[in-house]
Amino acid sequence: MSAAVDPTLHTAALAALEAAVNRALALSPHSLVELARLEDCVFALHCTAPALDFYLQPGAQGIRLTGYHDGGVTTSIRGTAADFTELATSKDPTATLINGALELEGDSGPLLELQHILAGLDMDWEAPLVNALGDVAGHQLAEMFRSAFAWGKQASTSLGRQLNEFIHEEARLSPPRLELEDFYRDVQELALRVDRLQSRTERLRQRLQQRLQKSRG
Amino acid sequence: MSDKDTTHFGFKDVSKDAKAGMVADVFHSVAARYDLMNDLMSGGIHRIWKRFTIELSGVRKGNAVLDIAGGTGDLAARFAELVGPQGRVVLADINDSMLQVGRDKLLDQGRLGNIEFVQADAQHLPFPDDSFDCITIAFGLRNVTDIDLALRSMLRVLKPGGRLLVLEFSKPKNELLSKAYDTYSFRVLPLMGKLVANDSESYQYLAESIRKHPDQDTLRDMMEDAGFFEVEYHNMTGGIVAWHRGVKA
Repeated sequence: MSAAVDPTLHTAALAALEAAVNRALALSPHSLVELARLEDCVFALHCTAPALDFYLQPGAQGIRLTGYHDGGVTTSIRGTAADFTELATSKDPTATLINGALELEGDSGPLLELQHILAGLDMDWEAPLVNALGDVAGHQLAEMFRSAFAWGKQASTSLGRQLNEFIHEEARLSPPRLELEDFYRDVQELALRVDRLQSRTERLRQRLQQRLQKSRG
Repeated sequence: MSDKDTTHFGFKDVSKDAKAGMVADVFHSVAARYDLMNDLMSGGIHRIWKRFTIELSGVRKGNAVLDIAGGTGDLAARFAELVGPQGRVVLADINDSMLQVGRDKLLDQGRLGNIEFVQADAQHLPFPDDSFDCITIAFGLRNVTDIDLALRSMLRVLKPGGRLLVLEFSKPKNELLSKAYDTYSFRVLPLMGKLVANDSESYQYLAESIRKHPDQDTLRDMMEDAGFFEVEYHNMTGGIVAWHRGVKA
């Protein structure tokens, strides 16, 4: 719980967030089945900017967000809201965890599984629409939603790929990933060599000093 | 009548024997519209206060939980989900009208199997010693005639290591907030009670009983005197409400 915030506000914010997430999860029964596998896990999320601490417990009914948890946690993560967003939307969460600014304590496996479930949310709009509008209209509207989302997803992926190619290959605004990785490897190798050189010169300096002392003595 | 035989009923002094009956009349009167009035009077914030109480309870699968003065079953319903089929939740209330409303509500929601409904007096709980992992009493303690007796009774039925959580109206810490709260309690609440439940007197009593309830430090001392350990309290919404927590050694 964040010490500075009245528990009423803190709890209200978490209740609203929990309700929103669970409403989305209710439309994705497949995600709920997967979440049930993490039922015994507790994730402690410490957001430093804005300051907000809370606990996330997955279950077959959705997720539970609490400001207070009495007991051990499976995984504890600390970082800014931007760091959490980066992890939540990352295509390669393992790399994001290793290279990102998030501090992690505990078991990273369940956290990666949770990220995978939430990132792969596949909402089924049909059931609530059919309930509200009836079989025919509900089904047609759900189909429209589905195709609109599928098109949106495809368009976004395609745009991302084309933009990537343009930036790296055509405009040369930024080096391609592989080139960058080569460069980082070279820098790392250079850093190692400099370290070795520094150690050698230090050893030589010490030897020289010892000889000088012997010759004076 | 000596001081020993009297207690308060709102701002009035009444005999100890009469108080329980008078409180019962209040809750018989408000039971049917209790949830609606709570939402109206608190602007829905009572749900947030109760939600936080549930977090603090630390209740988990398989636990036995007693919700005293459980009224319309807000806490009991959530506890039933948390303890699961292996656990046990007892919703207790001294008032049969409140208990009936709570039982109907929970059964209508399809909650059964791990919930029991018991009409019980908090001062003389009808359970064996060391029965529960957690006891909660939300907005009920101020209506109990003898708070000390009730706290000792709760301690008796708690298991060693079990915890009591008291959620109750308390004393606001800020003068300005306190004045605004007084105006709201004594002018707006009875009016709202009259308009919605056609019963201004009961809501006048509710406002008065809050003022007569022990403040945060006094209640903490009372819990310690009753035998609870690690007693602590925390204000919510500027001290309008406070939760107290104590552990049985």
